[in-house]
Amino acid sequence: MATSPEIVSSEYKFGFHDEVEYLEETAAGLTRGTVEEISRFKNEPQWMLDFRLRAYEHYLSRPMPQWGGDLMQIDMSKIVYYRKPSQGEEKSWDDVPDKIKKTFERLGIPEAERKFLAGVGAQYDSEVVYHSVREELSKIGVVFMGTDQGLKEYPDLFRKYFATVVPPEDNKFAALNSAVWSGGSFVYVPKGVEVPLPLQAYFRINAENTGQFERTLIIVDEGAKVHYIEGCTAPIYTTDALHAAVVEVIALPHSKVRYTTIQNWSNDVYNLVTKRAHAHAHSTVEWIDANTGSKLTMKYPSIYLRGEGATAEVISVAVAGKGQHQDTGAKAIHLAPNTRSRIISKSISKDGGRTTYRGQLKVVPGATGVVSSVRCDALLLDEGSRSDTYPYIDIQEDDTTMTHEATVGKISQDQVFYLMSRGLTENEATNLVVQGFLEVFTKELPMEYAIEFNRLVKLEMEGSLG
Amino acid sequence: MTKSEGAPVAVGGRPGAGVAARPAAPARQAPTDLTLTFVDEAAVRGVAAAAGDPDWLLADRLAGLRGFEALPIESNPLYTPYVDLRNAHLSAVRPYPAGTSAGAGAGKAPLPEGAAAYAEFTEDRLTALVLSPEARDAGVVLETLASLGARNPALLRDLLDGGCTLPETDKLGQMTRALWTHGLFLHVPNGVRLERPIVLRWAMGAPNGALLSRTIISIGEDAEVSVVEEQLASTAGASAAGSSGESGGQAFFAGTTEIKLGAGSTLSFAGLQDFSTNQIAFQHRSAVVGRGSTLRWALAQLGCRVVRSRIDNTLEGDGSSVEQAEIVFGSIDQLFDLTSFTRHIGRDTTGNLLSKGALSDRSRAYLKGLITIDKPAHGTDSFLGEFAMLLSKQARSVAIPSLEIDQPDCRRVAHASAVGPIDPTQLFYLESRGLDPDEARKFIILGYLEPVVARVSLASAQDRLRDLLEAKWAASMGARPSAAPDAAAVA
Repeated sequence: MATSPEIVSSEYKFGFHDEVEYLEETAAGLTRGTVEEISRFKNEPQWMLDFRLRAYEHYLSRPMPQWGGDLMQIDMSKIVYYRKPSQGEEKSWDDVPDKIKKTFERLGIPEAERKFLAGVGAQYDSEVVYHSVREELSKIGVVFMGTDQGLKEYPDLFRKYFATVVPPEDNKFAALNSAVWSGGSFVYVPKGVEVPLPLQAYFRINAENTGQFERTLIIVDEGAKVHYIEGCTAPIYTTDALHAAVVEVIALPHSKVRYTTIQNWSNDVYNLVTKRAHAHAHSTVEWIDANTGSKLTMKYPSIYLRGEGATAEVISVAVAGKGQHQDTGAKAIHLAPNTRSRIISKSISKDGGRTTYRGQLKVVPGATGVVSSVRCDALLLDEGSRSDTYPYIDIQEDDTTMTHEATVGKISQDQVFYLMSRGLTENEATNLVVQGFLEVFTKELPMEYAIEFNRLVKLEMEGSLG
Repeated sequence: MTKSEGAPVAVGGRPGAGVAARPAAPARQAPTDLTLTFVDEAAVRGVAAAAGDPDWLLADRLAGLRGFEALPIESNPLYTPYVDLRNAHLSAVRPYPAGTSAGAGAGKAPLPEGAAAYAEFTEDRLTALVLSPEARDAGVVLETLASLGARNPALLRDLLDGGCTLPETDKLGQMTRALWTHGLFLHVPNGVRLERPIVLRWAMGAPNGALLSRTIISIGEDAEVSVVEEQLASTAGASAAGSSGESGGQAFFAGTTEIKLGAGSTLSFAGLQDFSTNQIAFQHRSAVVGRGSTLRWALAQLGCRVVRSRIDNTLEGDGSSVEQAEIVFGSIDQLFDLTSFTRHIGRDTTGNLLSKGALSDRSRAYLKGLITIDKPAHGTDSFLGEFAMLLSKQARSVAIPSLEIDQPDCRRVAHASAVGPIDPTQLFYLESRGLDPDEARKFIILGYLEPVVARVSLASAQDRLRDLLEAKWAASMGARPSAAPDAAAVA
């Protein structure tokens, strides 16, 4: 078994932060003026300002959710809702300011791009600072840019789909995002185009007390195919940061979309994300979702199966260590006949961490011939850790086949003993068992990501055996 | 929107003084609105005065009232989206007064065949209360709470005041605690093993009647007993539902079953609910299971317009176990809202919980379950299964089987859930053996529900349950053409 010698401590590897001078910044706290200011900075059309204000009003009127994680510790008034570190978007890596470039280099992005990436969109705090799509992709009409730029360059397409999947009234944090959103990715894949390599965006929170509210809109036209990957990291601060993103995916008939997330925010980030896809006839939407970082994550990637024969798949893993709560899950809403969904969730709790699976499966009347399966497995590694499972299964159509299973357990001592008898240390053996437990997820990742993810898990597992 | 004002929409107290000749629309009821109008402090004090309650009991009732007033209809945020009381129109119901239950011939009622003891309430009257000589000789006690209060006030206080097992966070349980007027006490002494079951029967359904009752069961160490509880339509209830729907008004039942099992004891409890369709029932069953003891629930839910049932199993003693099997057979527009909470506290405890629903017409079942494994509960083995078969296009099943686990050292913790139509391969098999499709469907459904039927310990009650299931099948499914998938009915 290949052990990486460089991994010796479980310190947060991306926990550096840079002193960057921000070009624009709103005062801490959120008022109507903040929303107007953001819109003015961005020089947006009137409809977007109206949209933001409508969302802002809804945000104010809506109470904090009482379920899920503990949200009482967030001080919304200390958060800076908008920061702009550099002027506009750069096309070439050389034009990116040195400081920011250094950060990304430490994250290994240019390297990754050289290797296999079709495009890179890196978000540094609020604005997309670097963006490129390989030439051949632009030629075939694939759009991959910052969402702000998408609004400027493709106003009609943008307006047609924006907020159609997640309206501002959906939940409090979707309303907040809608009011102050900035950055994120805008992707359009034209009819019949298959993007051969994954599109990737790195998101990063740098400044202290920064709220990050990226808004991603992915439109995949008929028969097209794309894989989008995002990774998230943030430096460690003692005060808490907030990340409230909204991701909307529209999979038009016969298209295929895979959206992969590896979330590794530092352990002071509140990660409250609304991710939802509309799957039209005979399309396939897959959320591949890993959560190892953050203080609290509340994220339930959803798929509304709107067209006949659509398929949904969610594979999600969560690892919660000390002081962490991963409240994650998945939703599949079957609105059309002969739709299928499969949800697999794996979670690991250790050092007092808490994982929660919260899922919803719904089949509406008339959605005949639905087949769905949900499987949740949880590992609890030590005393003091906690695991919860809350599935909601609401079936309103008799012609439905649905199965749900969940198990919770500890690491099998037999397996560890066996591996140790073959010469592994207890730590290595445990690691291997955990990696095997998560393999259903890992095998869905591109190789580089799989290696990185296994390292992350290993880091998380360091010292978990007293 | 926690509570509606419940007041009719008449403008300024002048009915008909509205703008146009249009009749005032009935007040719109939100799913969480409870239309009970009699729950207040005056009513509580009235009940206590009529029953001649001691001060501590009045205080206990008032504490229940405060709980009722403070709590939301569903205190567990997991389940708040799935509350629906819109079919419970209870503004006209009035609780039966306390102290009227001393039926004259109760002591002379015949003991049902095969039973060790028998108690029966018909509406607000105690119509039977008899023990077999064996049960009496063994020291088994079966009496009303009123008579226990007169005979041994200290014990009553001990049971209600000190060791109440009703969930503190349940609004409806607290309402029953505040306003109960009728009650039973069953005690089985240490070491007593009864072969025959004890039968408890509630028959009601007279329009606008409301019965609030508590049943306290205490099982001594190493005792072994079975209880059959039947909740059935009285003649008044049957005719009220039989006439034209609910024109006569709804009837209301709120009943608790509060159980304590001593070390090494075993209780098999079979509950059969077949109230008429004008009935609204809130059931609370809570049990504290002691060291090495076993509790077996076999529960069948057939009747009522709306049932809201909650079961709390507390596995407190080391090595204690609970087996719970519950079936629902729904038709018309019945709603079964069934929640079960199982909490593992002791070491090496076992929970095995199974809910099964067969739903026809526009019936709905909300099957909710939560297994909680506390820190000290090493070696827990817990399984929760929630299954439903939908027999019509309009039926709806909601399953929420949840787990909360604080102790990793478990033998097994799992839940499973499945929803589907009747398995066509099973149908095909039975048809190939010569059964007509309707009959084949009937056999599959009855077989699916059989695990609970088989656990009813009283032969006559078991037969009755089988008959009821068959009758319900015939009423809801048997009449329709066998070519089932009526896709045209769906928009």
